[in-house]
Amino acid sequence: MPDLFPAAPPAADRLPPTDATPGTLPVVLGGETVVLLAERALHWPRGATLFVADVHLGKAAAFRAGGVPVPRGATAADLGRLSLLLERTRCTRLVVLGDLLHAPQGRVPALDAAVAAWRSRHAGLAITLVRGNHDARAGDPPPSWGVDAVAAPHLLAPFVLHHEPATPPTGYALCGHVHPGVRLRGAAGDSARLPCFVLGPRRALLPAFGRLTGLAVVAARRDETRVAIAGSTLHPLPAAGT
Amino acid sequence: MTPASPAAAVPASAPDARFDPARAWFAAQGHLPFPFQEATWAAFAAGRSGLVHAPTGTGKTLAVAIPPMVLAPPGTAALAPPLALLWITPLRALAADTGHALAAAAAALQPHWRVDVRTGDTSSTARARQDRRLPTALVTTPESLTLLLARADWRERFAHLAAAVVDEWHELLSTKRGVQVELALARLRSLHPALPTWGLSATLANLDAALACLAGPRRAATAAIIRGEDRKKIVIDTLRPASIERFPWAGHIGLRLLPEVVRAIDRARTTLVFTNVRSQTEIWYQAILEARPDWAGTIALHHGSLEREARDWVEDGLRHARLRAVVCTSSLDLGVDYAPVEQVLQIGSPKGVGRLLQRAGRSGHRPGATSRITIVPTQALELVEAAAARDAAARRLLEPRQPRVAPLDVLIQHLVTCALGGGFRAEDLLAELRGTTAYATLAESDWRFALDFVVHGGATLNAYPEYRRVVIGDDGIARVPDAQIARRHRMGIGTIVSEPSMTVALQNGRRLGHVEEDFIARLAPGDAFVFAGRTVELVRVHELTAWVRPATKPSALVPRWTGGQMALSSELADATRHLVAEARRGVFASPELQLLRPLLELQARWSQLPEEDEWLIESIATRDGHGLFFYPFAGRLAHLGLATLFAWRLARAAPRTFSLTANDYGFGLLSPTPVPLARGELGRLLAAPDVERDLLAGLNAAELGRRQFRETARIAGLVFQGYPGQPNPARQVQASSALLYQVFADYDPENRLLAQTVREVLDHRLEAPRLALTLARLRGSRAALTRPPRPTPFAFPLLVELFRERFSNESLEARVARMVSELEAAAAT
Repeated sequence: MPDLFPAAPPAADRLPPTDATPGTLPVVLGGETVVLLAERALHWPRGATLFVADVHLGKAAAFRAGGVPVPRGATAADLGRLSLLLERTRCTRLVVLGDLLHAPQGRVPALDAAVAAWRSRHAGLAITLVRGNHDARAGDPPPSWGVDAVAAPHLLAPFVLHHEPATPPTGYALCGHVHPGVRLRGAAGDSARLPCFVLGPRRALLPAFGRLTGLAVVAARRDETRVAIAGSTLHPLPAAGT
Repeated sequence: MTPASPAAAVPASAPDARFDPARAWFAAQGHLPFPFQEATWAAFAAGRSGLVHAPTGTGKTLAVAIPPMVLAPPGTAALAPPLALLWITPLRALAADTGHALAAAAAALQPHWRVDVRTGDTSSTARARQDRRLPTALVTTPESLTLLLARADWRERFAHLAAAVVDEWHELLSTKRGVQVELALARLRSLHPALPTWGLSATLANLDAALACLAGPRRAATAAIIRGEDRKKIVIDTLRPASIERFPWAGHIGLRLLPEVVRAIDRARTTLVFTNVRSQTEIWYQAILEARPDWAGTIALHHGSLEREARDWVEDGLRHARLRAVVCTSSLDLGVDYAPVEQVLQIGSPKGVGRLLQRAGRSGHRPGATSRITIVPTQALELVEAAAARDAAARRLLEPRQPRVAPLDVLIQHLVTCALGGGFRAEDLLAELRGTTAYATLAESDWRFALDFVVHGGATLNAYPEYRRVVIGDDGIARVPDAQIARRHRMGIGTIVSEPSMTVALQNGRRLGHVEEDFIARLAPGDAFVFAGRTVELVRVHELTAWVRPATKPSALVPRWTGGQMALSSELADATRHLVAEARRGVFASPELQLLRPLLELQARWSQLPEEDEWLIESIATRDGHGLFFYPFAGRLAHLGLATLFAWRLARAAPRTFSLTANDYGFGLLSPTPVPLARGELGRLLAAPDVERDLLAGLNAAELGRRQFRETARIAGLVFQGYPGQPNPARQVQASSALLYQVFADYDPENRLLAQTVREVLDHRLEAPRLALTLARLRGSRAALTRPPRPTPFAFPLLVELFRERFSNESLEARVARMVSELEAAAAT
């Protein structure tokens, strides 16, 4: 495996392999050991914190309000996936790196009910939302969701939390917004677009968590590593190529 | 003018005196109406609808344009009469010329008429004028017509309509755009039940079906099919190399014939050089220019991805005989005739008889001239196709064009259009739909689905409260209450779905045209490529524009565009099989077959030439594996399907992997280990049950479905294409069709749009109906199994196709050259 972060030792390949369970990849970001999860989330064990970005709750409802009849089910699946992760990692804090809500048109009663039911399953969980551009339009979640909405940058040392990508003067930035993806090409013109993490020496981009979100194919910079998510597996990619 | 008399009072034999002014107008220009024009006038005057079929440029326009003018009451100078004649054309480029032709006739016969054009290109001033009052004769496209029908007051605007004409109906017929026209005509007939509806078409094998779609099933029986003037003589020949190689492969001898092509261009005043795909126009244009640099400025290229302005310049140059040659694709198949064109060259096989005749007809428009098309084979076996095409053309074995049946995405779009166009009552609209051929047998459940889709967003039981695309009011009338949704719908009207593309522009802002996003995605700044007849170098990509500058270094990289590559038509494939069978009996009747004789004789010596009721199967051990080669002569798409089917069925019996290869003549399965094929096993491979299931299992069906769903998602209004250069009106509700496909597949797998997508993959991407017919034919044929010692002339091109995917261009050339010399040495012994 290539050296993941020449600028930020110790690199992931030097971590004990026994930690590795399928669909997880421990790496060191900003001096802290964190675990990339194939469910499109990032786990920080020492902080008992789970990071996700770009959940876009209510996107299906916003589409329907706009005349596009997206079927039900994506929201329930997203919340269910979040529950599984929280139970598995036993995190006490959830941080959403922006775009928890998709649009004002998506704030329908059915969503409120679904989130309320989900929240009652995780009553002790602290939730922080670093407001993103969609949240700005959609508005803060209702008090009943128990979400602490803050503006970027928000400090959670050593991490600096952003929605839109930024490189802070000190600390290590965790960002969303981009919905990063890679395009992998196979033989005979096959190609697949997969969500990915983008890990750099000073900042990381998280994949979009929401099921109903698109991808933006990103090129790797020389000092960055992209980790592609194919189903339930994670694949660090060599630096070259798109 | 003679007073108008009722049509019934005119004896059938006597010419209708009401048309005397038209005859006089013809006479003033020195000719008489053709009998087919008189026949059309009489049928129209009797209130009938109909279809006029003939090659282009034979007077079809005046056959149908004159009656509504002659039979209309004269207007007054004060105010032009309201809309009476609606003329629908699939080509924007054709609209202006048609407008001029109608205006000339109107000037003589109805001086108070106003003739105008309305397309996507129409200026806002002209639009505003038309919005106040439509002209008496309107030339428009299917999309602009549907937009008019999406206005609440369309019924008033069309209240005096006396005739509807659809030009180039054969071109629309087998497409969703054709269904869109059928639906629009049904709307018009709901207002004017007896509206004379006329179509102009090239000759087709299934004219009856074409007429039924145009006039509707109820009126087809009384409608007329009139055959136009077909007086033009057509010469079809080939540009033949001095010798041929016995191991042909695609693309190899194409440019070898460049000197002959240049000589042919030199001999004629104006030549159209047709290729089958856009990338080939770029390659040939460069090659010709390199051979004759002195022709710079007098040769040009024309294809659908070039900027409109550039295409206009080329078309204008053709019209005024300023150009010596134009290298083009099907973008010049249709449209106005360019009188100066003397000859047509067709690079590669035309793949269809209708297409060959259509392209031949683009030349020889001077009185007494002959249409001439010369086929330039790009590989030796295309010589058989050329000879077969000539035979089939002589026997008029034209292809049918199969109309689409009840596409749900078009129906969904139409429901919203009707809801906007003054609203609809469900039962009335269903009756109107059943009056079209496309939806005559629309299942009740499909109708329910489409209606629920626009009203509830899904099945009624599972209605979404926030979904209000179409709302049925207390009065029972369905309308669109939301202005945003209405606006987006208007912007999305139509069924033309293009690949995601990027504008290519020079740094000074001049736009050259469009290439597919995927192509640009593979380039880095500084990479050069050939486009729009120049070599350019990528500077940067910003949003959806690739900025380029003239390249300083040469490049052979040419963009490729999806689609356009046609499979050999059944008619042409059958004619080809016939010629191969003749060769087996020692008959080489044409110069093309004479030239191919060494190749065919070698095929016979090493393997066999199949009889018409035989199908050849070769088992060949090559250095790259063991190959089974099958030759059904059923066209590339059906062969791809058959290869997938056979591989799937063989692998089910004994797990193994195959490499698949297919062309228009046959297909091959290559495996690292020998594949035993007992005669009894053939029956199992050819078995009819579960063909479609096995086909979908063997393919990457999900990927194919995802791609096909793009079109459906766009037409059904799930994604918005917007207009190029304009900000997307719907960012909050914009998702990729691939994402939507996945969401539907996961959470609403029973959605009928998904089922339609699978059907379209089977019918159009894989030609499943043709595949089923081919299987039936093969079951009734004798299998001729041979074990040639080495690749035969038939097998060789299939092998090369296989390598093409595995090797880079240079190593492919070297490798093929080595194989050819080895095989030639073997053939010499």
